[in-house]
Amino acid sequence: MTTETPDPAGGPRPAGAGPRRPIGELAFAVVCALLGVGVIVGAGAIRVPPGSASVLGPRVFPYFVGALLLAAAVAVVVAIATGHRGQPDEGEDVDPNAKTDWRAVVLLVVVFCSQLVLIEFVGWPIAIAVVFAGAALTLGAKRWWIAVLVGLGLGLATQLLFGTWLGLSLPAGPLLDWIPIFNG
Amino acid sequence: MDSLAALLEGFATALQPQYLLYALFGVFVGTAVGVLPGIGPAMTVALLLPLTYSLDPTGALILFAGIYYGGMYGGSTTSILLNTPGESASIVTALEGNRMAKAGRGAAALATAAIGSFVAGTIATVLLTFLAPGIAKLAVQLGPADYFALMVVAFLTVGALLGSSVPRGLVSLGLGLMLGLVGTEVLSGQQRYTFGVPSLADGIDVVLIAVGLFALGETLYVASRLRHGAVQLIPVTRGWRSWMTRSDWRRSWKPWLRGTAIGFPIGTIPAGGADVATFLSYASERKLAKGRAREQFGRGAIEGVAGPEAANNAAAAGVLVPLLTLGLPTTATAAIIISAFQSYGIRPGPLLFENQSGLVWALIASLYIGNVLLLVLNLPLVGMWVKVLRIPRPYLYAGILAFAGLGAYALHFNVFDTLTLLVVGVAGFLMRRYGYPVAPMVVGGILGPMAEEQLRKAMAISQGDLLYLVHSPFAIIAYTTMAVIVLGGIWLKRRRARLEAAPKLVPTSAIQAIDEATK
Repeated sequence: MTTETPDPAGGPRPAGAGPRRPIGELAFAVVCALLGVGVIVGAGAIRVPPGSASVLGPRVFPYFVGALLLAAAVAVVVAIATGHRGQPDEGEDVDPNAKTDWRAVVLLVVVFCSQLVLIEFVGWPIAIAVVFAGAALTLGAKRWWIAVLVGLGLGLATQLLFGTWLGLSLPAGPLLDWIPIFNG
Repeated sequence: MDSLAALLEGFATALQPQYLLYALFGVFVGTAVGVLPGIGPAMTVALLLPLTYSLDPTGALILFAGIYYGGMYGGSTTSILLNTPGESASIVTALEGNRMAKAGRGAAALATAAIGSFVAGTIATVLLTFLAPGIAKLAVQLGPADYFALMVVAFLTVGALLGSSVPRGLVSLGLGLMLGLVGTEVLSGQQRYTFGVPSLADGIDVVLIAVGLFALGETLYVASRLRHGAVQLIPVTRGWRSWMTRSDWRRSWKPWLRGTAIGFPIGTIPAGGADVATFLSYASERKLAKGRAREQFGRGAIEGVAGPEAANNAAAAGVLVPLLTLGLPTTATAAIIISAFQSYGIRPGPLLFENQSGLVWALIASLYIGNVLLLVLNLPLVGMWVKVLRIPRPYLYAGILAFAGLGAYALHFNVFDTLTLLVVGVAGFLMRRYGYPVAPMVVGGILGPMAEEQLRKAMAISQGDLLYLVHSPFAIIAYTTMAVIVLGGIWLKRRRARLEAAPKLVPTSAIQAIDEATK
């Protein structure tokens, strides 16, 4: 609202803008730099077909990309070290003064991961119900049974719309496969 | 005229009941999803992509055009009606629109936004109709070196102009280029950076990058700092009479036209998309306002809604010019549209107007139709969009997550894509948190492989002579323009940063900053 805006020069910052010491921010930039190094090293392993000496081989562009990533990431590290911190994104539902809720982030990642197993074993509708209900509850939905019901409804609706009607091969799963409309 | 006849034929296709229905559905769904808070046009397009997977190319592109325009429009409703103080400076429409709504003139703000979008969208589509075939004809003569020049321009302008700092934009671009490297290399047929994983041999689909960054990354980011408590909406008075008074019309039509004139050219050049256009339009309306209107700026001046909204939509149509004629995506949304084209084996570019002319003109005709549909649909349906805005946030973001999962899985029906999506999503979360713009990554992901192909073609022609890259006048002009755009853009960004980082973010001082900048 009327709180001061984040000062890029490291002045007073709202609580949500991260810890005072930019460890996470530095770590992310360093990882990007390492990715750049990885791309350069990986480019060395690309086989250059014989007889293409005068033409641009398959290694050049990767070298270029790796160098760009490395140089830009190093520039970011330098910028952070000299106090030019990044400004977190704003958004309609983002509270600029909130502390980072790592628990919610980790839970959402775990919930999303469940699809990796569930889609193939119990089918699309139930996998989606789990993702929806899990995410809604993580984000603070008040009544768990509404989340579960809406999730199931969403799973069945998408299965019908995309699987049956539009013909995408979403697996209905062993629990629903016996219903003619779902096994297409 | 040639293109006129072709356009009429396009209308004949697009007006078939079945395609008309697709257009209506696209506009409706696009607006409904675009209205949802936290969902911008790029995310709307990415999330709704699975809808088009099983349609024929014409139907899919018509549906897509509707979603694109609808998503563009939906966003402005959100910023006018949603009461989220503190970040209004990031969306220019909200500066005045939100204030108008608070003063009980929300209906007028929505109406001028809708009609302005229609006017600007239509004029811009007319310009597109007459410019695109000519540009395509010129573009046929461009060689690989020229294309490479264009792509470098797009890379650097998108990378340098978006977001808060140049190095961060370039890191984002680099990450996208890196993902673009993965896959089978065209000329020698060997796999690069696939680590022996068969699913990676085809490369990483740009849809995964876009959905991962926009849907998953955004959801994770919002989840980490969710605004709790009830959703605060500004009520809108009902009834036709309160929409626009005679004086509202008189004050709106010039900003509409000026916004169009600013938005369309900026949309056609890779200069960071609609953001720059809306900001420029706002600044110029503020400068041109006289008398009572000038006093109203900062307290809900209708010009400040009409101009930027028109600029926004004109830029959206402008983006389609390089997209259709050169195959060059200049925004994240355009990158997703290109990948949709590619999934049908259609390659946007100068030959598109010759090889697929039926399809292109049906698409352009559907843009006209979509604009009309938006207008008739949106004015009466405002009440419904308001209800959509009230969806409790836990369910909203849970739904986004579910649809992101659908988008990833429906690509190849393989959970490996879901895993890739998750990795990109986590990266997107960190990028948002640490102030990296995500759009350059999407553009890099799709443009990287294209640029490499053109570069290597050029080098093959010249037998490795690097000077060949700047041998043509076109390439030289492109690189010079790039320097101008980047320098001008950085200057503009400084100006804007001053506006957004004004000492206290009470809107009046933000307005003052614009005022000073425009003097």
